[in-house]
Amino acid sequence: MFNVRYIVVSAFVLAATLCASASAQGTKPSEIRVFPPDVNLETSRDRQSLIIQEVYPDGITRDVTQAAKLTLANAAFATLKKNVLYPVADGTTSLKVEHNGLSVNVPVKVQQAKVDRNISFRLDIMPVFMRTSCNNGSCHGAASGKDGFRISLFGFDPAGDYQRITREISGRRINLALPHESLLLTKSVGSVPHTGGKRFAPDSEMYATTLRWLEAGAPDDKGEVPKVLDVELYPKDGVLDGEGATQQMTVRAKYSDGTDRDITSLALFLTNNDNSAPVSEGGLITASKRGEAFIMVRFETKTVGSHFIVLPKGLKYEAPKVPENNYVDTLVNTKLRKLRINPSELCTDEAFLRRAFLDVVGVLPTPDEFRKFMADKDPKKRENLIDDLLTRKEFVEMWVMKWAELLQVRTVNNRVSYKSMLRYYNWLQERVANNVPMDQLVQELLSAKGGTFANAATNYYQGETNTLKISENVAQVFMGMRIQCAQCHNHPFDRWTMDDYYSFGAFFSQIGRKRGEDPREQIIYNRGSGDVRHPIGNRVMQPKFLGGAIPDVKGKDRREVMAKWLASPENPYFARNLANIVWAHFMGKGIINEVDDVRVSNPPVNAELLDELGRKFTNYKYDFKKLVRDICTSRTYQLATKANETNASDSRNFSHASLRRLRAEVLLDSISQVTETKIKFRGLPLGARAVQISDGNTSTYFLTTFGRAKRESVCACEVKMEPNLSQALHLLNGTTVNGKVQQGNVVGKLLAAGKSPQDVVQELYLRCLVRLPNEKEMAALNRVLEEEKDPKGVLEDVFWALMNSREFLFNH
Amino acid sequence: MRRTRYASLALCFAAAILSAEAVHASSPTLSLIMPRGVQRGAETVMTFSGARLADGEQIFFYEPGFTVKKIEASGANQLKVTVAVAANARLGEHTAQVRTKSGISEYRTFYVGPFAETAEKEPNSDFATPQAVALNGTVTGVVTGEDVDYYVVDAKKGQRVSVEIEGMRLGTTLFDPYVAILDSKRFELSASDDAPLVFQDAVASIVAPADGKYIVEVRESAYGGNGNCRYRLHLGTFPRPMAVYPAGGKIGTETEVRFLGIPSGAFAQKFKLPAQLEEGYGVIAKDAGGMAPSENVFRLYEHDNVLEKEPNDSAATATPAQLPLAFNGVIEKPGDNDYFKFTAKKGQQYEVECFARRIRSALDPFMYLYDAKGRQLAASDDSRGPDSYFRFNVPADGDYTIRVKDHLDRGAGEFVYRIEFHQPKPKLTLGIPRVARYSQSRQTIYVARGNRFATLLSASRAGFAGDLVLDPKGLPAGIKVVSQPMAANMTVMPIVFEAAADAPLGGALVDFRAKLNDPMKDISGGFHNTADLIRGAPGQSIYWRRDVDKLAVAVVEELPFTLEIVQPKTPLVHNGSKLLKIVAHRKEGFTAAINVQFPFRPPGVNASSSVNIPAGKNEILYPINASASARVEKWPVYVLGSANVNGTAWVASQMAELEIAPAYMLLTLERSAVEQGQETEIFCKIENKRAFGGMAKVVLLGLPNKVTTPELEISKDTKELVFKITTDKASPAGRHRNVFCRITITENGEPVLHSRIGATELRIDRPLPMPVAKPKPKPKPTVAAKKPPVKVAPKRLTRLEKLRLEAKERRDAEKAGTSK
Repeated sequence: MFNVRYIVVSAFVLAATLCASASAQGTKPSEIRVFPPDVNLETSRDRQSLIIQEVYPDGITRDVTQAAKLTLANAAFATLKKNVLYPVADGTTSLKVEHNGLSVNVPVKVQQAKVDRNISFRLDIMPVFMRTSCNNGSCHGAASGKDGFRISLFGFDPAGDYQRITREISGRRINLALPHESLLLTKSVGSVPHTGGKRFAPDSEMYATTLRWLEAGAPDDKGEVPKVLDVELYPKDGVLDGEGATQQMTVRAKYSDGTDRDITSLALFLTNNDNSAPVSEGGLITASKRGEAFIMVRFETKTVGSHFIVLPKGLKYEAPKVPENNYVDTLVNTKLRKLRINPSELCTDEAFLRRAFLDVVGVLPTPDEFRKFMADKDPKKRENLIDDLLTRKEFVEMWVMKWAELLQVRTVNNRVSYKSMLRYYNWLQERVANNVPMDQLVQELLSAKGGTFANAATNYYQGETNTLKISENVAQVFMGMRIQCAQCHNHPFDRWTMDDYYSFGAFFSQIGRKRGEDPREQIIYNRGSGDVRHPIGNRVMQPKFLGGAIPDVKGKDRREVMAKWLASPENPYFARNLANIVWAHFMGKGIINEVDDVRVSNPPVNAELLDELGRKFTNYKYDFKKLVRDICTSRTYQLATKANETNASDSRNFSHASLRRLRAEVLLDSISQVTETKIKFRGLPLGARAVQISDGNTSTYFLTTFGRAKRESVCACEVKMEPNLSQALHLLNGTTVNGKVQQGNVVGKLLAAGKSPQDVVQELYLRCLVRLPNEKEMAALNRVLEEEKDPKGVLEDVFWALMNSREFLFNH
Repeated sequence: MRRTRYASLALCFAAAILSAEAVHASSPTLSLIMPRGVQRGAETVMTFSGARLADGEQIFFYEPGFTVKKIEASGANQLKVTVAVAANARLGEHTAQVRTKSGISEYRTFYVGPFAETAEKEPNSDFATPQAVALNGTVTGVVTGEDVDYYVVDAKKGQRVSVEIEGMRLGTTLFDPYVAILDSKRFELSASDDAPLVFQDAVASIVAPADGKYIVEVRESAYGGNGNCRYRLHLGTFPRPMAVYPAGGKIGTETEVRFLGIPSGAFAQKFKLPAQLEEGYGVIAKDAGGMAPSENVFRLYEHDNVLEKEPNDSAATATPAQLPLAFNGVIEKPGDNDYFKFTAKKGQQYEVECFARRIRSALDPFMYLYDAKGRQLAASDDSRGPDSYFRFNVPADGDYTIRVKDHLDRGAGEFVYRIEFHQPKPKLTLGIPRVARYSQSRQTIYVARGNRFATLLSASRAGFAGDLVLDPKGLPAGIKVVSQPMAANMTVMPIVFEAAADAPLGGALVDFRAKLNDPMKDISGGFHNTADLIRGAPGQSIYWRRDVDKLAVAVVEELPFTLEIVQPKTPLVHNGSKLLKIVAHRKEGFTAAINVQFPFRPPGVNASSSVNIPAGKNEILYPINASASARVEKWPVYVLGSANVNGTAWVASQMAELEIAPAYMLLTLERSAVEQGQETEIFCKIENKRAFGGMAKVVLLGLPNKVTTPELEISKDTKELVFKITTDKASPAGRHRNVFCRITITENGEPVLHSRIGATELRIDRPLPMPVAKPKPKPKPTVAAKKPPVKVAPKRLTRLEKLRLEAKERRDAEKAGTSK
C-alpha cells in the first residue's frame, strides 16, 4: 500500500531491537532517516517539510530535525527555510542531510516553479473543514447541521457542501464583495459569536486559503479533480526514550495526477493512546507514560498510522533466552523484546490440563484424566494432549457453537421456523464435524440457493433479509470489518467510503426470495436483477470487492462471484480474520481486538504474528484444526497467568496468560459435569450439554445471566464474558449450584463408596479445580471436619464453596 | 383438490335410542375420526368423537364404498360406527360427517389403505430395541415430544423395502414427520423429511443390499411431537413411484404410463381411463411387490398427449406438437430446458396451465412462451402455487414455442410436468360465507321440522355476468327453498329453508347448484367448501385443507321456538332508520333467551351485530338504518335466531320484504351564528319528494349543550321552516357542525324515520370583550333598530344579509358616535 522506502545509509545490519545495550545515551546512532525520501515541488506555492529521525542500535529513535545540518546542492532551484523546502526554479538537485557523522542525500525535483496553481474547493477548502472539525458529527456535520449551517459529515458530499456554502444565505455565509466579512471566516476566527468557538487564527494558513478562495469568487472545481491516491505519514515508527521526548510528523498526499503535496498543516492528527503519546494539532508527538501508541492522520477519506513505543527514560533491559516452540513464540517474543518485556514462566501441568480442556473441548478433565496426565513422563505430553483433544467430538461442538453465533443460527418469528433453524444447525454441524475447509464452507454458505429446508445453508439469507444488513454482516463476520458507518458517510477512522459500502452491498442486491410450498419454507434464488443505488446522486453501484477489484458479474450470480473472492487468498482479510477469531478464543483477546473491529485505527498489536497466522491458515488449506494446534502447542499459550516485573502492566501482547471467565455454556456444563447432574434442553436428550443447544433463542436463566449469545446480531460482543453481580449472586444463592450439589449427591455417593472425608475433599478439588488441595487448605478443612459431626454437610459446603471460587469460574 | 365423487348416502340404521323424553340437542360437532385410517375390503369400528353426538343417525360419506352396519352412541360425545369398506374403495383421503337427529356436524377426514393395521408398541424409542413388524402392513403410531419410533423388518437381498407415512396428511395437527430406512449398523440407506409427492409427509424406498434386518425410524422432523401427532406408516415391498409419466391422458382411452423414481427401476403400466372428466383422479402403481398405498395424481383431459423428444433443449430442436394436445416432459438433469413448438391461429384464446407441483412433481416450473422470432410473449413462475400459468391470446397466425425449466435449474428423472391448453370457460362457484375464521360453523343446513333455517349464499362468477337462480338437486324430502334470483350486480343472496311439520327426519349431501337465469346459455355451478384442517406459523398459514363440493342438508327434530319478522309496512329511507319488530313464538315451557342476528344487509344498510330477546320475552325491536347510498329496491331479508337447547339451535324467520326508499323530502338548512346568550334562527327549505298524510314531527338534533329549539311539525305541503334557537351564556362557543333534523312521518300506523337529514352548522360566538362596552349605548339603539325591521318585515334575512346589515349598522353607529 505504501511505498516505504527508507533511505538507509548506514551499513550496519539492523539488529537494533535484539541488542542488549543499555540506552541511546552515549552510543552512536546506527542510522539516520530522512522523510519524505524524495522531494517533489510542483507550482509556486508548493513546499515540503522534512523530518530527520535518528535510530540507535537498541531501537531508540530521536527527532534530530532541528539539529541536523541541511545543505542544498544547488540553491538555484529551491530554497530552504529551517526544515522546509520551497521552489525557486524548475530543475533537479539534492539535499544533503548530516548529523552525528551520518549523512543522507535526498533528491529534490522542482517543476512549474513559476506557475501558481488555481485554488480548488475540493483540494484546498474541503480539507480545512476536516482539519478544523467543522464537519464533525457534533458540529455542522450533524444530519441537521448546527445553528442553521450544514455540511456533509466528514465531507462525504463535496458537491453538496459547495452548494450549501455558496447558495444558502447569500451575501452572508460568503460575501464575495467583502470576502473577509463572510461568516465562513468571521465565525471561524471567532470575531463574531460562534458556538464552536475560534477554529483558526486570522494569520493562519487556513484563513489565508479560505480568503483566497473567496477572493477568487468562490469557484467550483471544473473538470476532473485529482483524487488522493495515497497518504504518507512519516516517520513510519519510532521508539521514544522517556517522558518529554518528541517527534514531529510530516504527511504527504499523492494525487492521481502524479503530483504530491505536503499536507502536514491540513491533515488531522489522532492518537489511540493519549496517555503515552499525545499528538498536537501540528503533528508533534510528545512522549508521556510507558506504552504503545498508534498515531493516525486523517485526510480526505484516507486514514493512515504509525506505530510508536514510549519507554521509560534510560530503561535497562536484557532480553532473556526464552525457548520457542514454534513461529507463534518467535513472533510474540520479537514484539515483547521491542517493548522490553519478558514473558512469564510456563504454567503448571495442572493449570495447562485444565486450560486446554476448557478451551479446546469445553469440559473439565476428570480425576482419572488428571492422574493419567500427571503421571505421564513424556516431555511431549502437552502436545500429545492437544492432539488428543482435537480428535474429540466436543471440540467440534465447541466450534459449531461459535460458528452458530456468527451465522446467527436461531429461530425468528414468522421467518425462520424451528425446523429451518435445526436444519441450518445440522448443516453447520455436519460441515464442521467433517472438517470441511473453511473457505469451502463459507463459499457454500454465501452462494447458497434453494429452499430453506432443502438446502439449509440458505437460512443465512432468511435470518436477515435486508440487503445492506446482509452485506454488513458478511463484512463483519468474514472480514472482521464494521462498515456500517459508511452507509451514511465515509468511515471516519477507516478507509471505507460510501462508494465502497454500496458497491459491496450490490453483491447482495439480487437475492430472490419466494415462499415454498410449505409455509415455513422460503426459496432463496438468484433473481438476476436488482441494484443498489448510492443515496447521493442515485447512481447504480457496480459490485466491487471490499478493498479489491471490480469483478465481472454479467450473467453471473453475484453472490457466487463474491463468495469465491471472499473466501480465497485473494481477499487479504479472510484468512487473517479467521485466524484472529481462533486466536482470540484461546488467548482471550484477539491480535486485533475486538475480532470484528478490524480498521486502520485499530491496528493489530502484532501485525507480523497475525500475518503469519493468516498465511499458515491459507497454507493449511483453511483447516483450522491445524491452526488450533499451532496456537495451543505454542509456549505463549502455555504461559502462566502470574506476571513478572516486566509484564505486569501488559494486557495486550500475550506476555502472560490472561484470566478468562468461562463462557456461559461451558460454565453450566462444567457445573453439571462436576455435580453429575443432567439438564433438559429443547430438542436435545436429557443430559445434553449447553454447548450443543442449536437455537439461539433456547436459553435458561443461568445461561442468560452468564451472557449466552442470543445470536440476534453478528457482533462478537453478544457473548458477555464480563463477570457481574447477578452472576455472583446466582451462583451463591441461586438454585443452580446448590440444587445441583443436592441433586447429583456426589458427596453422598463418594462417602457411600467408602471414601474418607479427606479423600472426598481431594476428589472434589480434582473435579472442580483440577488440582489437589494444598497443605494450608487441607489443614483448614481438616479442622472443620473434626469439629463438625456431619461430614456430608461439611463436604457439600466445601463442594459449593469450590464452585463459587474464582478459580473455578475462571480459566487461568 | 381431491376427488369428490358424489356418494350415494350410506344406509342409515336406527341409532341407539335416546331417552324417551324429547331432550333437545343441537349443533353436533365432530373433532376426530379414529382410527385415522381403515383397510379396504374390511369391516372396521370407527369412533366419531366430538360433542352432542349421542343422537347420531347417519354418517355422510362423500364418496362411495362405505356401508354403515351399525351406529352406537358411546356416551354423549362419541359414536361407534361399524363400517364395511368396499374392496374397490378409493385409496387415500376420505371425508365424512355425522347427521344426528338434531343437526349435522362438520366434516373430517380419514384414510383408506390397502393394508391391515398394527399399533405401535412403546418402548420402541431405541435403535437397539425396535418394534418388529411384518412387511406389507400399516403401523399406526404417535410421536410424542422428541419421540423417535423404530420398527424392524426382515428383508431378503434384492427385495424392495418401501415406506410411506401419513402424518400431516391426516389433517389433525401440525405434524411434520421424518422417516429413514437404516441397516442394522445404523447406516442410513434412505431418508426423507418432505417429499413433493406427499407434501410434508415422507416416503423412502430401498432395494435391500443383503439379507437382514432393516430398521425404519420415524420422528418429527425437528424432534417435536405431542399426543396428537398420529401417523400411519405403510411399510412393505410395494413400489412407491415418485412420479408417473405422462401424468395425464385422454378420457375413455387405455393409456400406458411409466412409474418413475423407484429404486428398483421404473416400469410401465396400462390404465383404462374413465369416460368422463373427473377432478382428483389418480393411478395406483402395482407390480409383483404389491401396490402403492396411495395414488399418483393423474390428469384426465379431453385430448391426447404429446411426449417430448430429447434433445429438445433449444428452440431449434423443439418437439413439434399440435394443439390441443397436452405436452408432457421431464426436466431430467440440472440446467435442462424443454421446448415445444406448435402452430396457433390469430384470435384463439388459451389458458395455458403447466402442471407440476399440482401433479405432485418435484419440479418448480418456469414456463415461457415465444413467437417464431424468439420474442418472449409471456412467462410465468408461480401463478398457480409453484406451478406456472398464463393466458395466451394468439396475436397472429404462426408458430410458437413453449419453454419449461426448473426455477432453480434443478433436474432429475422424476421432474415430470404436463402442459394443458384450455379454452377459457365461464365458471360459477357457490359458497356460504364463513361466519367464523377457520371454522365450518353454519356451513351445513339443518332445518327443524315445522321451522326454518336460512343462510347467505355467495356466488363467484368468472367469465360471465347475469342473474342467477337456484337449482338444487336432490334436497331431502319436506324441505322447501325460498329465494329470489340473485341479481347480476350482487354476489350474495339470502335463502330460507323451510321444513314441513311432517317432514321425515333425514338428510343428504346435496349437489346444491345455481344457474344463469338465461335458458339460452348453459352456465351452472355448484357448492364448494373448504375446511382449514391444520394451520400454524407463520401467521395462520394453512397446512392442510379439505375441499368438498356437496352441501349437507337435513331435516331435524322440532325446536321449541320459531321466529317471525313482523312485515314492515313502511320503507326504510335513505339516512333513515327503522326498528324491525321480531317476534319469537315459544313453545310452552321454553323461556331461554334468543339471540337474533340480521345477516343479510342490502347494500348501504347497517344493523347491530345482534340483539337479544331476553329470557321469557317474546319481542324485540331490531334497529337497522340505511345510508344515503343504500340501493333502492325491495329486498328479501330474514333474521336468524339462536338459543341454547343443550347446544345451540338455529332458527330463521320467514323471508320478509324490506323496502329501501329515497327520503320523502329534501331539507336545506342554512348556517347560522349566534352570540352566547342570544337567540337566532335556523332557516330551512323543504322540497317534498313523496307525498305523505298527516303531520310529520321535525326535531333539530346535534345542538350543543344549553341550546334549545322547539319541536316543529310539517305537512307534505310545508315549504319553509324556521327553528328558533335559544342559547345560554354557558352554551359552548365554537362551530357546531353536526346539526341535523330528524323527521318522523307516520304511515300505516308505522313511523318512517328520517333520522338524519339536512345537516347544517351553528356557530356560537363569545360576546365581544367588555371594553367595547363603551360605545355599547350606541349599539343598543341599533339592536333596537334591528328588531323593529325583523318585526316589520317577517321576511327572514339570510346569514349573509344579516351580516351585511350588521356591518352597515355598526358603520352607521360609529359614524353617529364620532359625529357626536
